[in-house]
Amino acid sequence: MSASERFIALTLAWTVAGAALAGEASPESAPAHKTSPDQAPAQKTSLDQAPAQKTSPESAPAQKTSPESAPAQWLERMNRALTTRNYDGTFSHWHGGQVEMLRIIHRVQDGTVSERLASLDGSGREFIRAGPSLTCYLPDKRTVLVEQRPPQESLVGFPAVNDQTASFYDIREVTHTRLNRRDTHVITVSPKDEYRYGYRLWIDDSTAMPLKTQLCDRRGHVIEQIVFASLTLPAHIPDSAFKPDVSTAGFQWLRNESGPPAPAAATLAWNAMRLPPGFRMAARSAQTLPGSADPVDHLVFTDGLASVSVFVEAQRREQADQPAVPESAAVGSSSAFSTVIDGHKITAVGEVPPDTVRFIASQLKAEEPAAVSSRRR
Amino acid sequence: MSADASDLSLVRRVQRGDKGAFDALVLKYQHKLVKLVMRYVRNPAEAEDIAQEAFIKAYRALPQFRGDSAFYTWLYRIAINTAKNAVVSRDRSPIEYDLDRNSEESYDMQGRMKDSETPEGLVLTEEIRSTVNAAIDALPEDLRTAIVLRELEGLSYEEIAAAMACPVGTVRSRIFRAREAIDRRLREVFEGGLGRAEELG
Amino acid sequence: MNEELDSQLSAMFDDELAPEECELLARRLSRDEQLKARWGRYAVIGAAIRSERGVLNAALAGRVSAVILAEPALAAVQGARRAPARWWQPLAGAAVAAVGVAVGSVLWLRAQAPFTAPPSAQLTATVSVPAAALLPAAAAGAADSYVVPRAPAVRAMVPSTELANYVVAHSVFSSPVGRRNLLSAFMASESGTAAEEPPVEPEGNVR
Repeated sequence: MSASERFIALTLAWTVAGAALAGEASPESAPAHKTSPDQAPAQKTSLDQAPAQKTSPESAPAQKTSPESAPAQWLERMNRALTTRNYDGTFSHWHGGQVEMLRIIHRVQDGTVSERLASLDGSGREFIRAGPSLTCYLPDKRTVLVEQRPPQESLVGFPAVNDQTASFYDIREVTHTRLNRRDTHVITVSPKDEYRYGYRLWIDDSTAMPLKTQLCDRRGHVIEQIVFASLTLPAHIPDSAFKPDVSTAGFQWLRNESGPPAPAAATLAWNAMRLPPGFRMAARSAQTLPGSADPVDHLVFTDGLASVSVFVEAQRREQADQPAVPESAAVGSSSAFSTVIDGHKITAVGEVPPDTVRFIASQLKAEEPAAVSSRRR
Repeated sequence: MSADASDLSLVRRVQRGDKGAFDALVLKYQHKLVKLVMRYVRNPAEAEDIAQEAFIKAYRALPQFRGDSAFYTWLYRIAINTAKNAVVSRDRSPIEYDLDRNSEESYDMQGRMKDSETPEGLVLTEEIRSTVNAAIDALPEDLRTAIVLRELEGLSYEEIAAAMACPVGTVRSRIFRAREAIDRRLREVFEGGLGRAEELG
Repeated sequence: MNEELDSQLSAMFDDELAPEECELLARRLSRDEQLKARWGRYAVIGAAIRSERGVLNAALAGRVSAVILAEPALAAVQGARRAPARWWQPLAGAAVAAVGVAVGSVLWLRAQAPFTAPPSAQLTATVSVPAAALLPAAAAGAADSYVVPRAPAVRAMVPSTELANYVVAHSVFSSPVGRRNLLSAFMASESGTAAEEPPVEPEGNVR
C-alpha cells in the first residue's frame, strides 16, 4: 500500500466505524502514574455546573442521556452543521486576556468546501481553504503559505465522537437556555484526566451551530471563548466571498510540493511508544511543508475529540551537532512542543494542554527499517 | 508645529470645563470613527450608535488623558473597545435567516457591504458626495492638487510644498481657498438640505 | 477678507497652526456656532473626497453634544472616582507587540499567561532566549529567499512561519470546534485588545 492509500484507509476506517479501529491499533499502555479510564474522577469538576445565567422555566436538570436529545447527538449535529452548512458570521475570540474579532465564511458546494477565516483586527491575517489548497496570508510577516492537501482527503467531520470518547469525557446536557434570544442546549464535555481540555457549548436548537464555545481546563476555568456576534446561513455564497482582502505585492510565497515526496533514503516508520489513555493513531502520511522540500512524516493521534499531530523530519546536517533543545509554544489554547530524537526533529501540535504534546512527542520512536520496508511500498 | 497642538488645545479646554470645544473634536473625527466601527458592525445606524457611545466615554475619561499619546490614538482605542464590547454583548438575536439570499454582494472583509441607510439619509449623503466631487472638478488645478494631496494622501503642508514646488504659505492658502470654494456649494446642500430632510422625515 | 486670519481655521484643522494660535482659535471655535459648522463641513469634505462609507450628514455630533450638555462639567468631577475600568489604559499587548516586532512575533517563545494554570501542566523544558540573541524579523524572513532560512547558531529563532506550517497541516485533522479555536487563535495577532475576563452577556439577555 502506498503511503497515501494507507492514509485514506485509516481515515475512512476511523470516521465510519470508530470501534473497528479498536482492534487495529497497537495497544498503548497508559503511563502508570496517571489516572486510568476505569477510575471515576476524584471530584466533580465545576464544568458540570450550569453557567451563571438565569435559566428558562423548562430547563431540565443535568441529564446524561435521553432518547431524543442525547448530548452526544447534539455534538454530532453541531459537527455536521459546522462542516456541511453554509454560514457567514463574525465572532469574538477571547484567550489569555485578549479579544479579537474574526469573520468566518464557510460554504459547501458540489462536495467542495470553501472557507475563509479573517482577522478583523490589526493582523489582517487570513486563512482561505478552497478545495485542496489551504492558503495562509500573513501580511504582518509579508508571507503567504500555500499548502496543497491530497485530493482524496475526506470531507467528513474528523475526528468523530464515539463510545470510546465517552470513556475519557463526561458529556452532559447541563441546561436548555436562551442566549441572545436563541434557544440553545448547553452541553458540557468534561475531561476525566488532565491530558485533555473540556468544552462548554451553547448549541442553537434550530441550526445546531455553536453560538458560544468555551474551552476549559479540568477545573472548569475558561481558557478560550468564541461567541458569535452575527451569523447568517445563506443558501448561496459567491466565489468572490473567498478572495482575500490582502494585497500580496512583495510577499514571500512558500508552497509545498503536492503529493508525497519520492522516498530518498530508507524512511523510518515512526510511532509513539506510549500514548495518554484514549489516544490512538488515526492517520499517517508523508508530505512536504511549504518552504521546504524535505519529506515530513505526519502522524495524527486522537481520542475522538482532541487530536494531536506529530511531525517527524530528518534533522538538517548543520544542526546535527547541536544539543537537542526542546521548545514549547502556544497558539491560543493549543500547544506545540518540539524536540529531537535520534537525529530527527519531532514536533507535536494539538488542542490539548502543554503536557500532553510534550508527552506524546517524547514517546516517538523509529521502528526498524527492515520491519517496515514492506509497508512502505 | 508641535504635533497634535490642534487637538490638544481643544482637549485642554474641555478638561477645564468647556463643552463646546468637545463638539469640535466630535465634528472632526466622527466620520473616521464611524468608518472604524463599521469594521465590526455592518449596519451604519448601529455603527453610529457605537461611535456615539465611544465619544461619550471619551468625554468622561478626558480628565485622565495626559497627552502621552495623540488624542486620536487614544480615542481610537476607546472606539475599538466599545465596538467589541457592543458586538460581543449585543441585545439581539445574532442569527439572521436568509436562506433565499442569492446576492453578489461584495464580501470585503472590511464589512463594506451595501449601505442600508434610510432612503432619505442615502439621498442626502449621495448629494453631498456629488456636490463635493463636482466642486473639486471645477477647481483650478493648483487648488485641486493641494486639497487632494492633503485629504487623500494625508501629506503635511511641508510635503505638499515639496511636491508642488511652492512655499508652505502658498500650500496653506491653496488648501484654504479650495475648501472655501467647495464649502460655498456644500452650504447650499446643508442649509437647504436640512429643510428637505424635514420634509422627507 | 483677511485670508491670513480666515485660513487659520483650515490650518488648525490640518494641525498646521502654531500652538499659541491654536489656543486662541480653540476658544473662538468652541463658542462660535458658525465657525463650528464650517469646521464640521471641512470634515465632511475630507470624508467625501476619500469616498468613505457611512452617512455623511450624520447627526452624530448633535446627539453627542446634547448628551454632554446634560452631564456635569468635567472640572467639577475631576476629583471624583470616575476612572472607568480598563479600556483607556495602555494596552498590555502594546508593550508585548513592540517586543514581538523585534523578535519577529516568534510564537515559540511568547509567554502565555493562562487564566489559571492547572498545576500538572507546568512545562519543565521551556527555552528562554534573551531578546538580544534573536535576529530581527527582517533578516530572518528576507523576501528574496524562497526557503525559510535556518540560522543554526540561533536555533530558537525559527521564524514563526514554521509553526504556521504545522498549525495549518494539523488543522485538517482537528474536530470542527477545535479547529476553529486553533485557526482563530492563529489568525489573531498580538494587537488584540486586553480584556481580562471573557465578556459576559448582560443579564437582561437571558431568560
